[in-house]
Amino acid sequence: MDGIFVAGRRALKQNDDNRFGSCFRIYRPMILSQDETIALLLSLQVAAVATVCALPPATACAWLLARRRFLGKPLLETALLLPLILPPVVTGYVLLEVFGHRGAIGRVLDALHISIAFRWTGAALAAGVMAFPLLVVALRTAFESVDRKLEQAAATLGANAWRIFFGIALPLSLRGLVAGVALAFARAFGEFGATITFVSSIPGETRTLPIALYELLETPGGESGALRLTWIAVIVALISTLAAALLLRGPRAREVEP
Amino acid sequence: MALWLPLAGWTAPLTIFAAASLKPALDDLAAHGALGKPAPRLVYAASSSLARQIEQGAPADVFISADEDWMDDLAKHGEMAAGTRSDLLGNTLVLVAPKTSNVQVDLSQPQTLRRALGMVGRLSIALPQSVPAGRYASQSLHALGLWDSVTGKLAMSRDVRAALELVARGECPLGIVYRSDAISEPRVRVVATFPAASHQPIVYPVAIVRGHDSAASRALLRALKSSKAQVVFRRHGFDTPPR
Repeated sequence: MDGIFVAGRRALKQNDDNRFGSCFRIYRPMILSQDETIALLLSLQVAAVATVCALPPATACAWLLARRRFLGKPLLETALLLPLILPPVVTGYVLLEVFGHRGAIGRVLDALHISIAFRWTGAALAAGVMAFPLLVVALRTAFESVDRKLEQAAATLGANAWRIFFGIALPLSLRGLVAGVALAFARAFGEFGATITFVSSIPGETRTLPIALYELLETPGGESGALRLTWIAVIVALISTLAAALLLRGPRAREVEP
Repeated sequence: MALWLPLAGWTAPLTIFAAASLKPALDDLAAHGALGKPAPRLVYAASSSLARQIEQGAPADVFISADEDWMDDLAKHGEMAAGTRSDLLGNTLVLVAPKTSNVQVDLSQPQTLRRALGMVGRLSIALPQSVPAGRYASQSLHALGLWDSVTGKLAMSRDVRAALELVARGECPLGIVYRSDAISEPRVRVVATFPAASHQPIVYPVAIVRGHDSAASRALLRALKSSKAQVVFRRHGFDTPPR
């Protein structure tokens, strides 16, 4: 997977010999510079990976919080809110402390040749951590909106917990699920503070669109580039909202009238 | 609610927007009352960020930049009070490594730099397009013919203190920061010093922000330039301004 994305970005960096590069040459002066395009593609990749990877643990947490009572539940709820409450820079330093080359987990990952520090995977981790609380809250609300009586009825008919989850809870909470994923993707896409603190700014690797925007704002004369990137971010937000709305159209058509 | 405070003799503290590298020295001065009473509010960030904020009307009284370009930029937009600008300090650019590492780098031999960085190591600098420390670093690397050896191996941070932190934590094997930063951080050691001729002179100009020129601001400026303050700055690794 790494290869596909890296190859895509390398294709952009190559000059005009290949077909992709020559199309790009026409577009480039009209819309975005090469650096800006690389930042956009990197952001899309980072946000997508962050959201997809955050989904299973977030679903598990949301299900637990929605349906189970257990010792330490308030503790879990508080811990999950931390990335929202703490300044993103602090979260970035915590990630650096744990997942950096010298970190407890980072050292193990380095030994296993899994690279997180100063890599796009680190940027995805930062984005995922920051989007996680939003995803859990949205999913939990979605699960809580499912009528427990339906789940109980299924249980009396012999369904086990997995069957109840995939057969009843998940389909009925799809609307909230899609909204939660769209929200998490948006948060992951816009993530800045934790990312630049944890993996710094490395063009093509960790310089996401928000970081590129920040750099342009700080550079004299960079305002026009910053405005271009802002419009691009708005377009991405519009597309993801449209996509979410389209996805939700489907289940509604299949809803059975009571 | 706080409107009665000035009647009770309370004077609003002044605000100094200062380049991030000045934090240890200015905190030291403020803590010992050398900057007057009440101690001024100290706001630290990259000079680029601070200059942008002042341009948008941020309530700073005094601005100390880590390079002349950002002060010139503000002066061009008429943001600084006329006749209040002067050069406060100088600094030196150094290459640092974590204290525990024993890399040797000879700035005239690019391969020593490449070897010190290794396969995965990155050179930690501040953003080279905007942050003064990053600009000086980029100028030096270009001037010494080292840019090609490190391009693609840079890790760029929002300001010089963040770049220093990456080296101090051992996350980056090398970094380019000011000598004052290296002195303030016990977890790093200086590996090499960049010749002053390899970058534009490092000057920290200070000036009063337009609309904030008052007896108190001028007194603060005098306090910053006093010989007592200069002794403290020297102790923290700053130089007298060049020229």
